[in-house]
Amino acid sequence: MRSIEMKRFIQNILVGFIAVSMAIVPAVAQDAATGADSIGDSSVDSEVVDAGNGHESEAGDFNPKDIIFEHLGDGYGWEVPFNHHKRMPLPIIVWGSDGLHIFSSSRVAHGDVYRDGNVEFMIAEDGDYKGKLVEVNSDGTVSRPWDFSITKNVLAVFFTVILVLLCVLPLGSWYRSKGYVAARGFKGTLEALYEFIYVSLIKATLKEQARRFAPYLLTVFMFIFVSNLMGLVVIFPGGANLTGNIAVTLVLALITFFITNLFGTKHYWKEILWPDVPLWLKFPLPIMPVIEIFGMFTKPAALTVRLFANMMGGHIIVISLTLIIFIFAKMGIAAMSGATVVSMIFQIFMLLIDVLVSFIQAYVFTMLSTIFISLAQEHEHEHEEHKEVPVTK
Amino acid sequence: MELFKPDFGLVFWMFVAFAILFLLLWKKGWPAIMDMIDKRADLIDKGVEYAQQAKDQLDKAQESAEQIIADARRSQADILREAAHMKDQIVEQARQEARDAAQKEIESARVAIAQERKEAEKNFRDQVSSFALDIASKVTRSQLLADAAQTKLVNNLLDEIEKTN
Repeated sequence: MRSIEMKRFIQNILVGFIAVSMAIVPAVAQDAATGADSIGDSSVDSEVVDAGNGHESEAGDFNPKDIIFEHLGDGYGWEVPFNHHKRMPLPIIVWGSDGLHIFSSSRVAHGDVYRDGNVEFMIAEDGDYKGKLVEVNSDGTVSRPWDFSITKNVLAVFFTVILVLLCVLPLGSWYRSKGYVAARGFKGTLEALYEFIYVSLIKATLKEQARRFAPYLLTVFMFIFVSNLMGLVVIFPGGANLTGNIAVTLVLALITFFITNLFGTKHYWKEILWPDVPLWLKFPLPIMPVIEIFGMFTKPAALTVRLFANMMGGHIIVISLTLIIFIFAKMGIAAMSGATVVSMIFQIFMLLIDVLVSFIQAYVFTMLSTIFISLAQEHEHEHEEHKEVPVTK
Repeated sequence: MELFKPDFGLVFWMFVAFAILFLLLWKKGWPAIMDMIDKRADLIDKGVEYAQQAKDQLDKAQESAEQIIADARRSQADILREAAHMKDQIVEQARQEARDAAQKEIESARVAIAQERKEAEKNFRDQVSSFALDIASKVTRSQLLADAAQTKLVNNLLDEIEKTN
């Protein structure tokens, strides 16, 4: 009985969705067609390409690559929901050739040059610093100042931090005041998540060292998980491609790297510098130590790239699916309508998978960090146990 | 490519924000939650252990109660048997005593009877001899003068009679 009702419900939604998209898309396309020679250009302009970042695509030049990378990248300003013509200005903080400058990003929008004191700033339209704030020197060349601006991604970091705090602190204070009374509702749900990570991942791997490293590992997990999910929300305050940005993953991986090595045991360092291998592998030529030291640095590199690449990949797929509509738009209304329906179905599918991926990538990053830290926590006796295994086999 | 060049500003802010987040959660968030997760797991483990122990104890108590009841039954049977035995003994003893007393009575009666009889016999003999004397004297008074020798003769004859009896 229930499954039939569910089926009918889903059918209704699908039919409604298809009907609405059929109705809207040709209207948009016609509107665009009357406004410009190229359907692609104006509809893309109004839907996807933002107009506020100082560069607009040339008429008739529909470039999906630029659109994709602009959405993946950072920016001085955050798109107003459902309106890509306007951007919320964000503070720009730079240390130029003559000191600190703080001004709103609206001053340099649309390619404007802003003069603050004796120095001129603008957002580079091409060259090495394309899309970044540059200082215009007196001889017309540009140079990049120290840029501490609160960009879209920086603001997204702040939002993520606040959300993580809101997820964790209430539960902490609940347990400080209520003792053994189990938390219910949202707090209880989150506790199940923390318990899953803490008990079955951190405690299972680090054993009695778990309490020492768990605060960091749990924080990393929550930060990545929340920012992954926020990245899937398409409008402000979501939509920033935070974990798909190499700077963010690099910082997290470096913290794991430093924790691994600063808290490493004597045994860990001995294994790197003087490993338990035949002498010729380490004495005149330190082959093994070199490999081990190289391995120290490949771990954070792997952490950085895998999270960054995975999350960026998910975003690229969803944006590409959106762009399919505008690519097909050049072929007429029928092709565009069909492409819209297909693209929407695939986008919903991809976004649902991305929700799963958000959790999996956060979990994997935490798991790898836990394993790297636990490898540096080995003691002599544990190693002897490992040595005995091949002997008995 | 721009995407692969980490931006200095973002690295800086990311580090600062993450450090603040970590410090806050390290001091205020995670310890309470981890404590509670650990403690609750402990509590549940202990509760299970306690329940197991309680069940074991209950089983043991039931067993010992059954043991006690069985013991009581056995000793009850013992006591009953003992009592029956004692009753028999007492009755037997009483009977024995009664029998002994009766025996004694009979014995003394027999002695008394024997004595009576002897006396009676003696009396009888004396009477018979006196009767005989009377008779003989009456007989011989008329016939015989000397009587001493004749009395002796008669006594001898009477002894003989007794012997034949």
